[in-house]
Amino acid sequence: MRIVGYLATAVISVGLGLAGTGFGGGVALAQKRGGTLVQITQPEPPTLGSYISTASPVGQVAAKIYDGLFEYGFDLKPAPSLAQSWTVADDGKTITFRLRPGVKFHDGKPFTSADVQFSVMEVLKKVHPRGINTFAEVTAVETPDPMTAVFRLAKPAPYIMAALSGYESPMLPKHVFEQGDIQTHQNANNPVGTGPFKFVEWRRGEFVRLDRNADYWKPGLPYLDRVVVRFIADNATRAAALEKGDAHVAGLGSVPYNDVKRLERLPNIQIETRGSEMLSPVVELMFNTRKPPFDNPKVRQAISYAIDRQFVIDNIWFGFGKPATGPTSSNFAPAGLYSANVANYNVPDGVERANRLLDEAGFPRKADGTRFEIVHDITPYGEEWRRFGEYTQQALARIGIRASTRYEDVATWLKRTYTDYDFDMTSNWLFNLADPVLGVHRAIHSRFIRQGTVFVNGARWGDPRADELMDMATVETDAAKRSAQYAEVQKIVADAAPLAWVLEVRFPTVIDKRYRDVIVSPLNIFSNFDRAWRD
Amino acid sequence: MKSGSLGGYIVRRLVQTVPVVIGVVIVNFMLLQLAPGDLATVLAGEAGGAPKEYIDQLRARFGQDQPVYVQLFNYLRNLIALDLGFSFRQGAPVLDLLLQRLWPTLLLMVCTLILSLGSGILMGLLAALWVRTWKDNAISVAAILVYATPLFWVGLMLILVFSIWLDWFPTSGMENVVAFHEGWDRVFDIAHHLVLPTVTLSLFYLALYARLMRASMLEQRGLDYVVTARAKGQTERRITTRHVFRNALLPVVTMAGVQTGSLLGGSVVVESIFAWPGLGQLAFQSLFARDYNLLLGIFFMSAVLVVIVNLIVDIVYVFLDPRIRIG
Repeated sequence: MRIVGYLATAVISVGLGLAGTGFGGGVALAQKRGGTLVQITQPEPPTLGSYISTASPVGQVAAKIYDGLFEYGFDLKPAPSLAQSWTVADDGKTITFRLRPGVKFHDGKPFTSADVQFSVMEVLKKVHPRGINTFAEVTAVETPDPMTAVFRLAKPAPYIMAALSGYESPMLPKHVFEQGDIQTHQNANNPVGTGPFKFVEWRRGEFVRLDRNADYWKPGLPYLDRVVVRFIADNATRAAALEKGDAHVAGLGSVPYNDVKRLERLPNIQIETRGSEMLSPVVELMFNTRKPPFDNPKVRQAISYAIDRQFVIDNIWFGFGKPATGPTSSNFAPAGLYSANVANYNVPDGVERANRLLDEAGFPRKADGTRFEIVHDITPYGEEWRRFGEYTQQALARIGIRASTRYEDVATWLKRTYTDYDFDMTSNWLFNLADPVLGVHRAIHSRFIRQGTVFVNGARWGDPRADELMDMATVETDAAKRSAQYAEVQKIVADAAPLAWVLEVRFPTVIDKRYRDVIVSPLNIFSNFDRAWRD
Repeated sequence: MKSGSLGGYIVRRLVQTVPVVIGVVIVNFMLLQLAPGDLATVLAGEAGGAPKEYIDQLRARFGQDQPVYVQLFNYLRNLIALDLGFSFRQGAPVLDLLLQRLWPTLLLMVCTLILSLGSGILMGLLAALWVRTWKDNAISVAAILVYATPLFWVGLMLILVFSIWLDWFPTSGMENVVAFHEGWDRVFDIAHHLVLPTVTLSLFYLALYARLMRASMLEQRGLDYVVTARAKGQTERRITTRHVFRNALLPVVTMAGVQTGSLLGGSVVVESIFAWPGLGQLAFQSLFARDYNLLLGIFFMSAVLVVIVNLIVDIVYVFLDPRIRIG
């Protein structure tokens, strides 16, 4: 048995150790107890069942109620939470978790290995939109004693270790959820977890109220008495509420980037840009590679060259991003899964190269200076995407492509892009998540060309060698080999350019300066706020 | 008018509305079928992607795997038993959601109706009394300005001035979620939060009613019965209050009834700006989520609301003008 981690030390040392790296530039501050933190979440979540919906607003609330087996620091390495320690067998097919004793659910019942077994096998593997994939290889969870849970895998699945946070894989109480249909369970909206805050009330259209869990298993935590999550539909009103101090935290795009820039100048507001490391959203242009002209790789490469990434970041995302180089976010660099050794489309003479490629591809300029016309669909997730659409229109005009833009609502756009494949090129953004297997494969592996499934390989591009490498990396437990496999994948995919990767978004979080240690994890406000405190 | 016949009249009117409401439901149902995309894709989209099996599983659960006419028939059959169905997106019965959201909307509507009618009538009355003086002009110009200003802009400006600069009112919401007041404190807290949304929504209608009231007053004052009253030796004050005012009110009350529907529409904007937890916001959300059960429920309830308000207006006529008979 190879020991991956053993950290039975007092929880408080983990807490304080990470808190020091939070706000205040590493200065240790005396945390105070008490206070209510008001978080803005937009839009209102449809449910609080984070085991059945991975919609962003759901996790922003539910992650405060449910713990996971692990927590993660900014280095993306697992740290103990409900699992005190763990070992992975040499063949990678057995993972043994030692659970933390004395942990109680909000209803007073103890947390045991039976709850882990139930959560993974009966819930996450069956109904969680991403869990169906994440836990596909898990054949059984054995419970030799109440404080030990053993995952049996059909094939090694190293990515599971990155997917055990309370946000991604919440641990549910078996005694509450085992009765009745999990899909429509009455406790979805009356959640019972082990987390630092207890659910009190959800007044629809207004707020969710979460009160301090006095019996939380981390001694002395949480510091706050209460977290209230408010829902404010209007952009300008959200900014006003933060400005006035009626609300204290908002992130993950709920405040428009231009408003963030304005709020940043106020004396009572602080902007935090860390906290996207385990989400890694990448803005891209997705091509319909089965339809002319984008069945021609030269045309796709030309567009990749024509986009001025720094211009887009500075003027449309107000500086909250960095240029993207390929299918994998640079956030995976610490894990060794990112490679910069790929075709570089971010060059000063991009427009000339693009023009040359289009000439070679057999699309010469006509008398009016254009080569061909396309429709650019704009992903319907807010104002900045319209701006990006307008910019792209101009950038493509420079290389002789006339692009008209189309903006529809979410349901229509999803159907057009992933069911009807009735598009030429669409802007899009995919989250790379905690591991390439979870967030990257779906966009570029030919196994993910699935009509009717959203946010997968809508470009319908695939490459046998890339597929093979990704399949190998999925089960590879040796870090160096896995790293080499992904480096090759990135090179192949970047050359073929089924997508034009534009930028990696760094979500700004708007925080009232009276509140400290709010963003202390790579999961942004999908974290549980147990160490947040009010000065 | 006999009071006995009033009860009969109300019953008859209510019975007449049943086919109207059913017609509204059918038209809405068919219209929603025309929108592309469905709840299952939206749910999967919000989840950032989900396997096909998951989406098919959802569709079967929503009953969307059945032909449209079967879905419509099922919906109507349930409606007769006042079962508005289940909102799969919100994970709750539609009726519960509607009832939860109804009273904030009613509160906002009633306060707006009182404020806009009250001050609109007063302004129109004063403008008519001061006709062709500078005061009349000032009122008319103000009314036109307010009438022409977009609702959302007024709302945001009120927040900027009265909430951020002057700090008199909260920016948004229905109550203070840090304090969570109880009892009378809560009532005052809600009233405090109600001020800005009510004023915003009222301004537009206030202008409308003021202009209508002024025109109506001036028209009535030129009629023969006013000359007769003067000849009888009544004072101008008595002529205005007893005769002209009451007659001039009729068109304003009619307009107020007709405007209830659009008041609901306006509340979508105001509820969004002020994060007021009413039906308007719910309608807006459920449209984009393709949550048809919920949306149909909201349409149904709005239709019923408009029908009831118009019935009330018809009854109010009788008290304003005894010459009007109902039945």
